[in-house]
Amino acid sequence: MTLPRADAPSSTVGEYVRELESALHGPQRVRARLVEEIQGGLEEAVAELAEEGWAVRDAEREAVRRFGPVAEVAAACQRELTVAQARHTAWAVALAVPVPLACWAPLWEGTAARLLALPFAAVAAGAALLAVAVLAATGGLARRLPAPGALPRAMAWTGTAASVALALGTAASCLAALRGIDGPLLALAVTTALAGHGAVAASARACRACLRLAS
Amino acid sequence: MKADSVRGHLDALLLAALEGGPLHGYAIITAVEERSGGALELRKGTVYPALNRLERLGLLRSSWEATGERRRRRYALTDAGRRALTDERTAWREFTLAIGSVLNPFPTP
Repeated sequence: MTLPRADAPSSTVGEYVRELESALHGPQRVRARLVEEIQGGLEEAVAELAEEGWAVRDAEREAVRRFGPVAEVAAACQRELTVAQARHTAWAVALAVPVPLACWAPLWEGTAARLLALPFAAVAAGAALLAVAVLAATGGLARRLPAPGALPRAMAWTGTAASVALALGTAASCLAALRGIDGPLLALAVTTALAGHGAVAASARACRACLRLAS
Repeated sequence: MKADSVRGHLDALLLAALEGGPLHGYAIITAVEERSGGALELRKGTVYPALNRLERLGLLRSSWEATGERRRRRYALTDAGRRALTDERTAWREFTLAIGSVLNPFPTP
């Protein structure tokens, strides 16, 4: 018996998968993997039912019923995607902060310069430490210490704070460095901070979007 | 038994289904339902994110396996997953013992 592919336009399974896919938000790789696995599972369920003698259309409807309403499955997937996005943001912060931070300090000439730039450096460093803690708490450590449910929200706002601190900290360091500019160091600080700012801000924005869907 | 009754025990059921060796997602679902003699009915669509979570926690590892035109994700227990399954079994025995002693305070001779 030839079964209709789930990606056929009229397929019940195809409609289910498309509805599920459009309801999810989060890292593309994790989202694609979940959807592909669920689609594969549905196709196996349809094949199994068809072998038991069900008509193909009925087998599709029954398989979809057994998998559960799209809203329920999407909610379960979205919880996992929200954690995945929070981890993505944590990685972005943990990788983006150290290099600009290391470049800033030598650029600060004088007390005024330090006072201007230090708060942004402190925010960025604090964000990087929290990011490492989130990676541990949502990974292997979660087996021993249940991760607080608010962790993805905390990481989303920490990412936003880190991206702002990277931009303002670099601007402050540029002003501070005006008196005795170290060209290559300043260029490295600006380039890495801008790249980091963009990556962290985008990931934090995506994390907030996940949280809106998960709530 | 409906899917709602299974919810709190899903992790242990999935780990137990993999004790005999690696399986792909749908085979794990089938194994749980068959081992329960059809008494347990999983909400199948929610099993896949649960497997993803168990892998994130380091209790499972997985890889893609090609099957015809499609590919399937094949899961296996890690050492941490085996230890977690042992802990789940101990916790379940203690739980059923405690509930049993309340429900049946006077065992029949």
